[in-house]
Amino acid sequence: MNARSFEALDVPDVVSVDAHRSVIGTSVKRSDLLGKVTGDAKYVADMNMPGLLHGKTLRSKIAHARIVGIDTSRALALPGVKAVLTHQNVPRVLHAGSPHPRSASVTCDQYILDGKVRYWGEGVAVVAAITEEIAEEALGLIDVQYEELPAVFTVEDALKPGAPLIHDRAPGGNLVLDPVVFARGDIEKGFAEADLILEGEYEGGRPTPAYMEPNVCACQWDGNGNLTVWISTQTAFMVRGIMAEVLGLPLHKVRVLVDHMGGGFGAKQDLFQTEFLCALLAKETRRPVRMEYSREETFLGGRTRHPAKVWLKQGFRKDGTLTARQARVVFNSGAYGSHGPGVTIVGTSAMTSLYRCDNIHLEGRCVYTNSPIAGAFRGYGVVQTYYALDIQMDEAAVALGIDPVELKLKNAVREGDIAPSNHPLIGHGLEDCIRRGQQEVGWAALRKRPRDGEGVIRRGWGVGCEMHGSSAYPGIKEQGNAIVKMNEDGTVVLLTGTAGLGTGAHTALAQIVAEELGVAFENVSVVHGDTDVVPWDIGAFASHTTFMGGRAAQMAATEVKRQLLDRAAKQLEVDAGDLRVRDGVVTVLGMDRSITVRDAVCAKKGIPAAQFVGSATYHPTKSYSFAAHFVEVQVDTETGQIEVKQVVPVHEIGKVIHPVGAAGQIEGGIQQGIGHTLYEDYQIDLRTGRSLNANFVDYKMPLSMDMPPIRTVILETAPDPGGPFGAKGVGEDPIVAIGPAIANAIFDAIGVRFRHYPIKPEQVLQRLAELHASRSPE
Amino acid sequence: MKQIITVNINSEARELAVESHRSLLDVLRLEAGLTGTKKGCDVGECGSCTVIMNGKPVNSCLVLAVEADGAEVLTIEGVQRSVDEPHPLQENFMKCGAAQCGFCTPGIIVAAKALLDENPTPSIDEIRFALAGNICRCTGYTKIIEAVDRTARELHSATQGVAA
Repeated sequence: MNARSFEALDVPDVVSVDAHRSVIGTSVKRSDLLGKVTGDAKYVADMNMPGLLHGKTLRSKIAHARIVGIDTSRALALPGVKAVLTHQNVPRVLHAGSPHPRSASVTCDQYILDGKVRYWGEGVAVVAAITEEIAEEALGLIDVQYEELPAVFTVEDALKPGAPLIHDRAPGGNLVLDPVVFARGDIEKGFAEADLILEGEYEGGRPTPAYMEPNVCACQWDGNGNLTVWISTQTAFMVRGIMAEVLGLPLHKVRVLVDHMGGGFGAKQDLFQTEFLCALLAKETRRPVRMEYSREETFLGGRTRHPAKVWLKQGFRKDGTLTARQARVVFNSGAYGSHGPGVTIVGTSAMTSLYRCDNIHLEGRCVYTNSPIAGAFRGYGVVQTYYALDIQMDEAAVALGIDPVELKLKNAVREGDIAPSNHPLIGHGLEDCIRRGQQEVGWAALRKRPRDGEGVIRRGWGVGCEMHGSSAYPGIKEQGNAIVKMNEDGTVVLLTGTAGLGTGAHTALAQIVAEELGVAFENVSVVHGDTDVVPWDIGAFASHTTFMGGRAAQMAATEVKRQLLDRAAKQLEVDAGDLRVRDGVVTVLGMDRSITVRDAVCAKKGIPAAQFVGSATYHPTKSYSFAAHFVEVQVDTETGQIEVKQVVPVHEIGKVIHPVGAAGQIEGGIQQGIGHTLYEDYQIDLRTGRSLNANFVDYKMPLSMDMPPIRTVILETAPDPGGPFGAKGVGEDPIVAIGPAIANAIFDAIGVRFRHYPIKPEQVLQRLAELHASRSPE
Repeated sequence: MKQIITVNINSEARELAVESHRSLLDVLRLEAGLTGTKKGCDVGECGSCTVIMNGKPVNSCLVLAVEADGAEVLTIEGVQRSVDEPHPLQENFMKCGAAQCGFCTPGIIVAAKALLDENPTPSIDEIRFALAGNICRCTGYTKIIEAVDRTARELHSATQGVAA
């Protein structure tokens, strides 16, 4: 175990090229943490509501079936039961579980409840009762008769001619959408020019986000036809939009409230059946109803990462130059489309970049199966495809006899290269990350170190790279919105629609506003999480919040600053252009005259207090963050156990707003990525579709004993003019780069190449035995 | 069928009528109004519901409320020193960024307090071991371990009369 002590506050190394700023770039005390550490912060399950009823969901124990009969009479007769809903008595409105507005990737393929079930664990009925126990008991009294249908669980089976169709919709054949193709140049020519051609199949398992707060929502109608929804969601406005649409209400009749939420990692963007049902139960009973998932339900009715298969072929010249890249990617969407189209497009198109190549042909498919629903999850399709790409780069380095880091540097995307979004890249972020990591770990010396090819315990180093867009633009035509108000004492309120996923994003936004306005961070508060009050926001995903919400907040603050300086200019009898504001004081440039912000705003004799309001909408450009992870692993060749010994993640994020918060994103992403690569796989029985490990004992995640030391380095070498003070996203990258870095380090340690995750001890032992057998004389 | 139990919760004697099948977790949250203790799994796998009962950290979801009759229970609400004075663990969790979404945080702070009560000078490995039953999905644990380590050092320095 790597013990280390923490003498000084463990802030990441930040390599800054920017001028000094007073608020951003400092790790101010997060404004939401006092409530969280004292237990005072209220999550949806903590709210006390008079007359509250508890809703519970009956889930299918068959993977694919038609419901031919459903009898709820015994459940309704149970004392304490107030309502039971089935597909026979809820509105039948076809809708998308992931309703991104103005997006090509919306898949309308689900009903609140349907007369058909498409996976083991799908909701078929709900009960509201006075206690959770009575609701549970009532579920057992509902009699559902199924006519079982043939089911398919793998993409291969689902794509076979004559396979049972899970949905009756275009394009048919169990495809969620028509195959997507990204091509440039001429791959035939590219492969013809290659000295080395590599091809391989890579496979990603089924990790789940496993956020600590189970999904929860509560609904109440006010008697005048207005619905209030308290919910743990990343996308309050999408919840409002789709609930209004499905329930037949105008938007102003639905108010969605989100305060604290216990993590989401992407998956809490979807609607999970229960939101609609909770509202309908509340309507029918005329009482507030809350529906909380059990931990098991977060697996059954939650969302997973898309299991994926990536066939990848690349051509290289002897000097390492890439000449061609061809790939076919198949994502397993599970029973519904959810984020299948978005993940397929983002994950497949990501392979146009990272490592330069002029001749590219990539095909992405997304396939329905009778499996748990795959949805959005941090890394969004790119975890799967960059795992393949980065491992194959490592394979190529070995085959060409080139240092893998040098091969990656040689091919790393650079300024002006066309990004997956079709925008030119800004800066040399990837190259900077790789070079910095090389220095940090002393890569040259590591390459030359004596190797132990015989010992029981063997160590190896590997590198994984990543780039990820900030915001989902242009795939989704999103925007950032903000309203900033200055109170008559000079304090400031930011109204933002961005969600507080737990990342500290609202603190970052307040820092941005404080910096722009020249006031103290403590003088800025943030109002969020009320769709009736705050401006529209698409939601907290795709590294959107700091980049888009932050830029909009900065723009709105700029407008307030203009109003403030106009008023101060009158009081100081100077031109507003000669004023600047810093640390709460407006000063006249070049003169010894000043006025505090508070004095400039507040009421004076004959002058009323000012009300400054600025609002802004930001239409984005596209921006990319970069990362390179250097990882050391240890493999026990007798037990097959793999241990990550240390990680040096280097991230280029434009401008760091809150160093400790940014490092926290990186460390948390690494934890999940280690889990993906070595342990986590939500499994189903491939004969019945039954869930096998829907709990935290059998679904293995890294715990405090499993985490290695992480030495984070943050670079600010490629600030983006589109981001607030140059800032870009940081949430997505770390979970992507860590995976191939571990797989490459395992190869370095034991000479065995794994092309899948999770890599399990028994597989290590098996492959070592095969290697040993192949080397032994006949 | 309800039973009356007397529990000392956060230094306050409480008399509660509880059903015999109810967990201490549910009684704390629903009857005592102490919702700082979280339900992350309800089956003893995640540690979010950790409280200190008679000096030992327990998963309150695995303790029947009737078993707590006569016991002393400390929940997250009882950890801070006064209304305006958070416990040094709480201060350091904020300072180090050891909480993100905050859902596991009460259980982890309580588990860490139980550790420091028992062992004021834990090694890094002892901290990691003490928190092995508490799942955090946001932080990677790095900053949590840092916050506990800092707190132990600060408290130890204070009791030794050495400047921190």
